[in-house]
Amino acid sequence: MTPAKTWRLWLVRLILGLWGIQVLWLIWHFGPEARDLAHRAASGSLGAAIRQEEPLYRWAAALQAIIPESATYVFLDDYAAGKEIEVRYYLAPRRHILLSPDISASFLFYTLHQEHAAFLLIRESQKPLGHGVQAALHSPAFHPVNLPGPGLAFRVDANLLRWGFYD
Amino acid sequence: MIEAGITLLRLLLGLGALFFLGYALLTLLVPRPRDFTLWERAAFSFGVGALALTFWMLALTWWGTPFSLGRILGPPLALAAALLLAPRGRRAVREELQAFQVRPRIALNGWDWLFLGLVVMVFLYALPRAALYPMWAWDAVATWGCKAKIFYASRGLDLTCIEAHNYYPNLTPLLLSYLYFALGQVNDSLAKVIFPLWGALLLGLLYSLAARLGLSRSSALGLAAFLALNGTVFIVHLYIAYADLPLAFFALSGAGLLYLWLADTAPRGSLTLAACFLSGMAWCKYEGPPLAATLLLAAALTLAWLRPAHWVRRLGQLSVPLAGLIVGYLPWRLFIVQQKMEIGADHIQGLYPHQMVKAVSYLLAGLLDPYYFGFLWPALVLALILAGTRLWRSPMLFLALFVGGNLVAIILAYAVAPTSAAEFPAYVRATLDRLLLHLTPVAALLLGLGLKELFPTPESPPTP
Repeated sequence: MTPAKTWRLWLVRLILGLWGIQVLWLIWHFGPEARDLAHRAASGSLGAAIRQEEPLYRWAAALQAIIPESATYVFLDDYAAGKEIEVRYYLAPRRHILLSPDISASFLFYTLHQEHAAFLLIRESQKPLGHGVQAALHSPAFHPVNLPGPGLAFRVDANLLRWGFYD
Repeated sequence: MIEAGITLLRLLLGLGALFFLGYALLTLLVPRPRDFTLWERAAFSFGVGALALTFWMLALTWWGTPFSLGRILGPPLALAAALLLAPRGRRAVREELQAFQVRPRIALNGWDWLFLGLVVMVFLYALPRAALYPMWAWDAVATWGCKAKIFYASRGLDLTCIEAHNYYPNLTPLLLSYLYFALGQVNDSLAKVIFPLWGALLLGLLYSLAARLGLSRSSALGLAAFLALNGTVFIVHLYIAYADLPLAFFALSGAGLLYLWLADTAPRGSLTLAACFLSGMAWCKYEGPPLAATLLLAAALTLAWLRPAHWVRRLGQLSVPLAGLIVGYLPWRLFIVQQKMEIGADHIQGLYPHQMVKAVSYLLAGLLDPYYFGFLWPALVLALILAGTRLWRSPMLFLALFVGGNLVAIILAYAVAPTSAAEFPAYVRATLDRLLLHLTPVAALLLGLGLKELFPTPESPPTP
């Protein structure tokens, strides 16, 4: 074997050695998830049962029974929290409009009226309620839906909405 | 228990229909499907079947016909049956049956068992992880899975109720919604088995292409295992329901077939088949058309550089895959225009040089950090360096141009991304691994070629 070929062979062996270590690391990395999978398989809590463990899902599932499929709802949340997309997924094909929790009352009321939204959903957050939400809580156009869960839900009577006087 | 069995049966029949349709179309696209190996036929059948069925679903929406399992499957399966009853189809089926009766025993050696065992280990984890957990990953819930659920509920390609990058191509969500129709319900965990299936077919195709290019069985199996178990990205994409794995599958299929054609070792009909997979790239993801265009550009540049016999005529023959790309791109584009859908301009607004500089360092980190793709990319760089001038004197150049060109394209894409300085690192983190995943199987094929050049083995034709 030529020295050049020996050198190349050692290089390949080095890469294969590193790969071997990396395979062991992968087993360690995915270990916890594999263990979770094994535990769940043993206990039979799989598929839809995993979702049931999530309070947000249970809340959305309860809302499915209340919000008609043809209805539109406005959801107040920060997109980056990643919860809004989950609620949208659970409630699909209901029409979904995302607005910021810090939205002004006038724009919130305008959107609800303009988009014929029948429901307003607000996900619980550490931040204090914004002006728009506070105005909604005190407006006769919003009727609370009594559902336990990580959020507030209101039926909206669009005919009672007035906007332009709340900011 | 019986209900679970029926659900599983419906899933298998739904997946089987895709293979059946794809195989029948394969007999139309290539003169003799058995010129391709078993893994290639399986992978190509599934890819072509998925492509044809989802385009058919788009056509149904265009004609205002609501989806139902009968309408989705009936006409394509009737066409498939007609194709298989035609002389070419009958011959293909006859050859398959004959080969099935005389299947040679394969004696695996220790390395084969090791590599095979590693790949099987990945799927022993990924398959139940996909099939037994509900959809949860960001883009799956926000885009692909959400659209699939809506298409199923609305019995059509109705995007009026959400704003989820509505202009994105729809192969993945339509395929998921087809499985919901096959299952008779939205079962987003069970439908996810399609992703480990894409992954298995991708690895099988890589193995088969590597064997066809002259690697020994052990080396080809090792290469497939090296791709599957290098970093976390490939494994995670086997169960998170993103469109990136299908795009990587189509990119490998297109690149592999074009490489064989450039190397004059392609079975007949490979260029037509490559056209289908470029079409699939365009219909799979927003990044698909430019990725497919770079495949064609790399092939044209390789021909112009190497100047093989009849290279000008061969340049003209690239119009076949180009037509495939256009056919894959146009229907959805026309649908967007017809529906007056807004197209996001989230990629090109201006050039930001400071982002370009940062993108280079992020890209290098993405390529070198073992967390993402293990040692695959460093191994590729070493193999290419050691291949030396052979890289410039063979069709290997095509794969190198495609991979290298797209790495440059990634940097340029980040340089024009309209994000704030604060958001830029998160933006790169959320996208870079996926952009690299599209290229990584082709990079693995190139690595295989590099190894073959370094350690030539006796010619071993692939087992049909």
